[in-house]
Amino acid sequence: MAINWRAMAPVGVFALLCVVITIFNPNFLSISNAIRILNASAIPVVLVMGATFVILTGSIDLSVEGIVALCAVVTASLVLNDTTSANLGLFAVPLAILAGGVVGGVNGASHVYFRIPSFMATLGIGFVCIGIATAALGGFPVRISDRAFRVLTLGRTLGLPNGIWLAAGSVFVAWTIQQRTRLGRYVYAIGTDEVTARQCGVPVDRTRVLVFMMAGLFSGLAGAMAAAQLGQGHALIASGRLFTTITAVVVGGTALSGGVGSVLNSVVGVLIVIVLTNGMVLMGVPPFVQQGVQGFLIIVAVSLALDRRQLQIVK
Amino acid sequence: MNRIAGASATMATTAVLVAGILGAAAAQDLTLAISMRSLSNPYHATFAKGGENFAKSVGLPFEVLVTEGNSEKGLADIRALIARTNGNVCINVDPNDSPDAKTIVDEAKAAGAYVVTQWNKPNDLHPWDHNPNYVAHMSFSGIGTSKEITNALIDAMGGSGGIVALGGILSNVPAIERKLGMEQAVAETGGKVEILDFQPADWNETKAFEIMQAWLTRYGDDIKGVWAANDSMGVGALEALRQEGKAGAVPVVGIDGTDAALVAVEAGEMAGTVAWDPNWTGGMGLSLCHAAATGAIDIASEPQEHREFYGTGIVVTPANIEEFRNRDASFDYNDYWAKSTGQIQYQ
Repeated sequence: MAINWRAMAPVGVFALLCVVITIFNPNFLSISNAIRILNASAIPVVLVMGATFVILTGSIDLSVEGIVALCAVVTASLVLNDTTSANLGLFAVPLAILAGGVVGGVNGASHVYFRIPSFMATLGIGFVCIGIATAALGGFPVRISDRAFRVLTLGRTLGLPNGIWLAAGSVFVAWTIQQRTRLGRYVYAIGTDEVTARQCGVPVDRTRVLVFMMAGLFSGLAGAMAAAQLGQGHALIASGRLFTTITAVVVGGTALSGGVGSVLNSVVGVLIVIVLTNGMVLMGVPPFVQQGVQGFLIIVAVSLALDRRQLQIVK
Repeated sequence: MNRIAGASATMATTAVLVAGILGAAAAQDLTLAISMRSLSNPYHATFAKGGENFAKSVGLPFEVLVTEGNSEKGLADIRALIARTNGNVCINVDPNDSPDAKTIVDEAKAAGAYVVTQWNKPNDLHPWDHNPNYVAHMSFSGIGTSKEITNALIDAMGGSGGIVALGGILSNVPAIERKLGMEQAVAETGGKVEILDFQPADWNETKAFEIMQAWLTRYGDDIKGVWAANDSMGVGALEALRQEGKAGAVPVVGIDGTDAALVAVEAGEMAGTVAWDPNWTGGMGLSLCHAAATGAIDIASEPQEHREFYGTGIVVTPANIEEFRNRDASFDYNDYWAKSTGQIQYQ
């Protein structure tokens, strides 16, 4: 099979960025900076693992910030903290992931069974999550006092922060689902042509619900990681995450129209977005110009990554 | 005929009923309300609580309006409240954006409602030009307090070295003032302290975390101190330092006095923060508004320094945190200007 150069475009963009930044500031290539970039990428990578599947089916999940915040609050309230009397330590993590999965399931169910467009359903559920987190805490953060729990992101294994290992594990799980399971095949089938998929006997509704549930599980893990990284949980802890997530998936070359893309592409997408932020500071780009440059480069990256000749309709 | 008589009798009854309801509405209690961005952050949650405490103390109905960062929603809610209470309302509002204050004051004036504003208003909008409905504007001196906290940072650094600075959203008034105060304090060291870089992190801790990481790559050990325009960003930077085992080794300062920052100050990981007093602005703002509305004070005859004034920001450092924790935070609702630190100055 010939190499699909188009699919490699995000990698090329990433490499080019690295070269340009290194010319301005050779420190960029240092091992410590590489670790910092990977570390900053950890939570976004976990988030795009779920978001990629949702986008591959042609839907969208806008509840990312809500679920992450809710799960960060759940996590912070279950470990040793200054608000509740719980002390579950690392056992809080599976519970947070579970909570994320439940909310994801609600997303999927309201989208599929009540026939609400995913855009509205997830936006609404996301607001509900932030509302719950706000009401439960009265606007205040839960501060984590459990030092041992924070090993989740602060600790290091084989020289790398644990957050990076969690992200790597998530990529492995997501990639396996994508490549080696029926669910993964169904996702592409639905994203490419839902009507045909349905006629071929693909359980479209069940697959969609599962995909949203999976996105919720990954968001739940990201919430636990965010709580460990910042040492607290509060309703606004995830602000800004949604934009990074969707941008990274699209910059990585996954089409918003569905059916085209891969979780590995999204990993490259996250690296591009994070390296851009890191590079702007390293190159000393004036703050006033940064946003403009970022927006421009994102458009360039997307236009290179997507084979737009195959798209009949662009919405 | 009978029908007509019946109809007019019904109409008369209705008219009496309507008049009765209107009369009851006119005689209803004064309503107290607070309007601000969101209940999701500690500052505004405490601000609302302060207002609620005052409402309880005078036994009047109390409402909280939330703009969710949307000026249109904020204005629509205030309009609805004024209409519903026939203007018989006192509103303590932190306008979502400066221009909103003008609209709110106009609406209140037209309906006879009373308003106190916090933080944001256009520089040329003054309470004394809108007597008596625009009661007062309360704020905190961004430049002065920022200078104080920057000096605390410089002290913690031993008086010299490079600092990196995290700013708020570039167009926000407090962000501009705090940056100015920091720059003035640095300039006063006569070159001993240098600003290595300034980046806006939009008040956001995650963004601050990522920028701090990049700074560690760019400047490494040349960073002797970190200045943040609010505590969220300060804590974000602190966590980036912690990831590298440098928490406490590089002093960090923030502004706002959030719980997380106060704990970090206590642990010696932050060199200081500025504690505002949202409980006071929430309660005293309403108290002053209530006093003007009920005629307890003749607000129009009060001097300008009683109409536009700064509250007290307390610089909290490891040296005085215990004293701060044990301070008497209570205040007398009828001693309106006891905590004022002077008339608001425009730059």
